[in-house]
Amino acid sequence: MSAPAITPVVVRLKLSLLRNGLRQSGGRRAAYVASAVVALLFAALQLVGLIALRGFDHAESLVVLLVAVLGLGWAVMPLFFPGGDETLDPTRLVMLPLRPRPLVRALLVASLVGVGPLFTLCLLAGSVIAVAHGGAAFAVGALAAPLALLVCVALARAVAAANVRLLTSRKGRDLAVLSGLLVAVGAQLVNFGAQRLGSSGLEQLAPAADVLRWFPPASAIGAVHSVGEGAYGAAAAQLLLTAAASAGLLALWSRSLTRLMTAPDGSTLQTGGAAAVRDRASTGLARLLPPGRTGTAVERSLRYVWRDPKTKAAWVTSLAIGLIVPVFNAWQGTGSVYFACFAAGMLGIQMYNQFGQDTSAFWMVAMTISSPRDAYVELRARALALLLITLPYATLVTVLTTAMLGDWPRLPEALGLSFALLGAMLATGAWASACFPYSIPQEGYKNVAPGQTGLAWISLLGGMVAAAVLCAPVIALTIWLNTGAGDGDRLWLLLPVGTLYGAALTLLGLRLAAPRTARRLPEILTAVSKG
Amino acid sequence: MSPVGFVLTEGDVVGADAVGADTVGTAAVRVRGLWKRFGQQVAVAGIDLELPAGRFIGLVGPNGAGKTTTLSMVTGLLRPDQGTVEVVGHDVWRDPAEVKARIGVLPEGLRLFERLSGRELLAYTGRLRGLPGAEVDKRATQLLDVLDLAGAQHKLVVDYSTGMRKKIGLATALLHNPEVLFLDEPFEGVDPVSAQTIRGVLERYTASGATVVFSSHVMELVESLCDWVAVMAAGRIRAHGPLAEVRGEAPSLQRAFLELVGAHGRDAGSDLDWLGGGSR
Repeated sequence: MSAPAITPVVVRLKLSLLRNGLRQSGGRRAAYVASAVVALLFAALQLVGLIALRGFDHAESLVVLLVAVLGLGWAVMPLFFPGGDETLDPTRLVMLPLRPRPLVRALLVASLVGVGPLFTLCLLAGSVIAVAHGGAAFAVGALAAPLALLVCVALARAVAAANVRLLTSRKGRDLAVLSGLLVAVGAQLVNFGAQRLGSSGLEQLAPAADVLRWFPPASAIGAVHSVGEGAYGAAAAQLLLTAAASAGLLALWSRSLTRLMTAPDGSTLQTGGAAAVRDRASTGLARLLPPGRTGTAVERSLRYVWRDPKTKAAWVTSLAIGLIVPVFNAWQGTGSVYFACFAAGMLGIQMYNQFGQDTSAFWMVAMTISSPRDAYVELRARALALLLITLPYATLVTVLTTAMLGDWPRLPEALGLSFALLGAMLATGAWASACFPYSIPQEGYKNVAPGQTGLAWISLLGGMVAAAVLCAPVIALTIWLNTGAGDGDRLWLLLPVGTLYGAALTLLGLRLAAPRTARRLPEILTAVSKG
Repeated sequence: MSPVGFVLTEGDVVGADAVGADTVGTAAVRVRGLWKRFGQQVAVAGIDLELPAGRFIGLVGPNGAGKTTTLSMVTGLLRPDQGTVEVVGHDVWRDPAEVKARIGVLPEGLRLFERLSGRELLAYTGRLRGLPGAEVDKRATQLLDVLDLAGAQHKLVVDYSTGMRKKIGLATALLHNPEVLFLDEPFEGVDPVSAQTIRGVLERYTASGATVVFSSHVMELVESLCDWVAVMAAGRIRAHGPLAEVRGEAPSLQRAFLELVGAHGRDAGSDLDWLGGGSR
């Protein structure tokens, strides 16, 4: 009896959720409005750009590729932004007496409301204008654009519904945290691809576009182009393909929705197969580590680099950027051996806010620290864990950069500078961990808890400036040996000097940080427990 | 109520026996003039309290009474604004080494290192506490067995249920055989089977003369487990002493508590007269 009324109810629900989300805080509203404005501006610009593209060679290849990427974006979005749309989660409606068919219709209409679909529609309209030639093509375009949008939305919904169990599980949330990485690496790849296209022309896209024009939702745009070329058969086939895809996806969605609404979900199921988790306890590395707190804390830190999504994301970002900046610059011939210090600097950042990385589990450490000595051993162990990864990595990056530039005589000084910088970062990092701890929220993308942003900036920026200042003697020595002293045969001295200086700084930093840590345990715990 | 009463009497006797002559009169925990404010809000408003050694002690009070804040300050996890805390004769803030070696803690609302498996967590905690590796592994195996976690020992703690988390937390708190055990809401959200397991371990532990201090807002639980209670409300201690003394004339601790905090006599009212079976 409620069937006819349900669509407007769900649409209103979606609008209310949007509005209430905005009402929570001024900052959030501003952020949302700003991102919506940017998205729409971007869409308008793209529309203009696509219209301007009209008539260019290879315009069709570019547009088809663009729509294919758009479709891919819709497919992966629910995996990485599962919390984005609460109406997306049908398990919330499971207690209501609803039949699948009206429910699917209502949810479909609701998901067409929002900035995302509007953005997509703008892009699709621009694509149609870019490739359509002749009245018939525009007529087909008027059908193709909404159809492509339907495919996108149905795709997102089908993927989300099929993966609800993953998305509501811990693994799904871990995946979401790592998605920031995907965006960063993806941006690098796009950047790299664009550079290559810029140098060798758009015709490189043609083979990919030839295949993709038969894949929905790009096939809808392919159909518009085909009509313009007079290939009506191909156009009909492409259009049919798109329609079939949207129908198929809707059916798929409807099926998994029905299953979701009637089958037990993760909260009522016993998690099976748990025994399959491998026991990685005390394997090779653990036996090599010293006993006592040092080995224990090193092992725990290293396990967390791999197992904790936030820590892992931070590490992978540091490792990637630490490699990309010096090596890509060297590759393009614009680099210098000294850029290799970037790796040491990026990885040294991981020493900052050590206790924030523990979250409120820091209490377990705090309960076992009862003297500055304990705190010193704890901090030293964490620095050791970091060095186990960083030292070989920084060396590798420096050697790689040197090799690409062929500047072998400068290798010792670059290594020396790297190690001195690393030592300075560890020292200031240990000190900042004790004096300026802040929470890292475990859910979502934020790396600083609300209200502690200032603290995080003081910790990171102040620490990095201090590290640079601490390195000044080694930098000065490098400059002096390169210029003042004239002969370059004493430059190798910088390797032992830099290494020793870095080691001395680290030990000094740990010594200074330890009593502060031991004195401030409750304050640190309070500061890191906000996430 | 009679079985409960029986268990209690027995507990009293066992406790008195185990404590023996040397510990009579010594307090496990001695709190003087303890204050804590968070901004405008006073969480703990001047507590003076002596908790006797060798007892099963319940700290009861409604949500927001200041139980967690008090326990955090007593265990050295939160710095008080004023006041002193002594655990087995050592000042928590001046003599942390002595205190931390003698207490076990299971806090509420703080995480564990959840990306370790249950066994790894125990191994980590025991070694941080300075126990020899072989001893840690032996104790860990026994604790995992007794707490019914052996089957899940290689699963990450993040994938544990609430009951399993409380149990592994209890195991980390017991690993170094502390003299005093502080548990903040150890039965909150725990299924009856796990609760019974936890209970059994705690009863065995106190029977040997150790002290357990635990907080709860479930009076029936406190009444059935504890032989000594302190009642908290709005940041103050309203009553403390042996269970029977605090309960007084009231038929149950629940009643006595409601009278103490002045919350009795609040009725559901007659507004919900439509609620009930039959008509819609």
